[in-house]
Amino acid sequence: MFSYILRRTLTAIPLLLAISFVCFIFINLIPSDPAEVALRVRQTPIITPEMIAQVRLELGLDEPFLVRYWYWLVNCLQLDFGVSYVNPTRTVLSEFERALPSTLVLALTSLVFVIGLSVPIGFFCAVYKDGLFDRIMRGFVFITTSMPAYWIGLLLIWIISIKLNLLPTSGSASWKHLVLPAFTVSLTYISTYIRLIRNNMLEIMREDFVTYATVRGVKRHIILTKHILMNSLHTCIVAIGMSIPQLISGTIVVENVFAWPGLGQLCISSIFNRDYPIIQTYVLFVGFLFVVFNLLFDIIQHIVDPRLRKE
Amino acid sequence: MIALLMRNRLVVGLASFIGAIALMGIFAPWIAPYDPYTNDILIKFAPYSLEHPLGTDHLGRDILSRLIYGIRPTLFLSLLTMIATISLGAFMGLVSGYFRGFLDEVIMRLVDMMLSFPSQIMIFAVIALLGVDVQNIIIANVVIKWAWYARLIRTKVMQYRDRNFILYSRCIGSKESFILGRHLLPSIASEIAVLASLDVGWTIINISTLSFLGLGIQAPLPEWGAMLNEAKNVLTINPMQMIAPGVAIVILVSAFNLLGDAIRDALDPKEVQS
Repeated sequence: MFSYILRRTLTAIPLLLAISFVCFIFINLIPSDPAEVALRVRQTPIITPEMIAQVRLELGLDEPFLVRYWYWLVNCLQLDFGVSYVNPTRTVLSEFERALPSTLVLALTSLVFVIGLSVPIGFFCAVYKDGLFDRIMRGFVFITTSMPAYWIGLLLIWIISIKLNLLPTSGSASWKHLVLPAFTVSLTYISTYIRLIRNNMLEIMREDFVTYATVRGVKRHIILTKHILMNSLHTCIVAIGMSIPQLISGTIVVENVFAWPGLGQLCISSIFNRDYPIIQTYVLFVGFLFVVFNLLFDIIQHIVDPRLRKE
Repeated sequence: MIALLMRNRLVVGLASFIGAIALMGIFAPWIAPYDPYTNDILIKFAPYSLEHPLGTDHLGRDILSRLIYGIRPTLFLSLLTMIATISLGAFMGLVSGYFRGFLDEVIMRLVDMMLSFPSQIMIFAVIALLGVDVQNIIIANVVIKWAWYARLIRTKVMQYRDRNFILYSRCIGSKESFILGRHLLPSIASEIAVLASLDVGWTIINISTLSFLGLGIQAPLPEWGAMLNEAKNVLTINPMQMIAPGVAIVILVSAFNLLGDAIRDALDPKEVQS
């Protein structure tokens, strides 16, 4: 078990290096001279070629490519991601510190929605397969997969906030502001996991041990919850865990609909302002989350599911 | 393959439905009742009526006409993106699956790296790098999504490359390009068709999302996502403006998703038997 964790962790390192390398190439592909940009960031009034040459030397831009990558990587590991191009008084780190908490709150709340809604709905769909509830839910799943998230957001604002006047339309002042954006983010995932749990449960219902338990006279609700639901949750929890980074990056669109002041808004405004260090750090951050969560839940799956350990 | 699909009523029905939408887009100037750019501030926010079946927007433009003109960017850009992505993915997949060796190793490591990033974020990053423009959203989508196709097509190619008819063709001295183009490509064509039709829906949503955020097709042009972006700004005054483009997207995307499922069922003999 320990050797598996070690091996799996070691394979993640080259992947992380590759991701950081892509991010480094990304900022080097920008069509402007970094030395000139640095001078502009310092708000130098007149930029002369001599000054550019001096800054190049200062920033180590005359070093070979791989040496610069190494310096950059060391800086990143110390959480120094550089300075925002648009607002030189702010570092990228401080911008992230400002925006990250609201995005995490949003992503966590939608995770709660995803688990809280898709597990019971998937359960009842499987139990009453082809019943009225199951058919309604299948229609719901089909429709929501064809709906763009931002339109769902607009519809919710219209119906819940404007027509019924129940919740505020945008902003982030109280928990009331959280409900609609979190629900919008979670909706796509809810339909995915309803389908996953339903199909998993239907598959497990056909297994021999379920028949055996029935024959033995175990009560139906115990078979359903303890034997079938618990077994189907294994794969679901891993799948949901691995989609947490997607949930975090998926807030990008919804944050813009609901004016939620998080990473997504920061990212979009940086794209408009060509604030490359922030975009670079955002891509690095999400890539890092992807690798780490994949690793984490892969290991969890191995611990939880003894069948995988035999190999 | 085509004959098999023609016999399936669901496939034919959905394909003609999508074809009809495409024709409406092509002949938009003759079908649309009004010009999609003509402002008439006096009749802004007109409700549904006989003159303006879907009402007018905040500048008094006819929404139905804009919707019909909007078919062009929405549908044709997605199809173009799809074709470009699949061509690149199929080429890379064929080459790496058929020739194997060093080339395969290089392409597959590249694919691994591309797939370790979340695709949506990478599309944003490429657009940030290239700037906000219509052609850039196509480039971004192609650059990011080809890897996914390359891997699937490579697996398929490897299932076929050692079949007898290909070994025979190689024995009698057919050129590699002939084997790739005439033997392998037709064999995996049905797989590609299913993948493509299932993924067009995703592409439509993705491109309209970019336009909605203002990163894709820009405001005066009638694209469904961009129309929804404009509708968002007047949501409290005229909520009806955002209904029509959204419903249009849902209908088109559902049609493609259903078509993908139908093609898969029609082409997969195992499904038919069971």
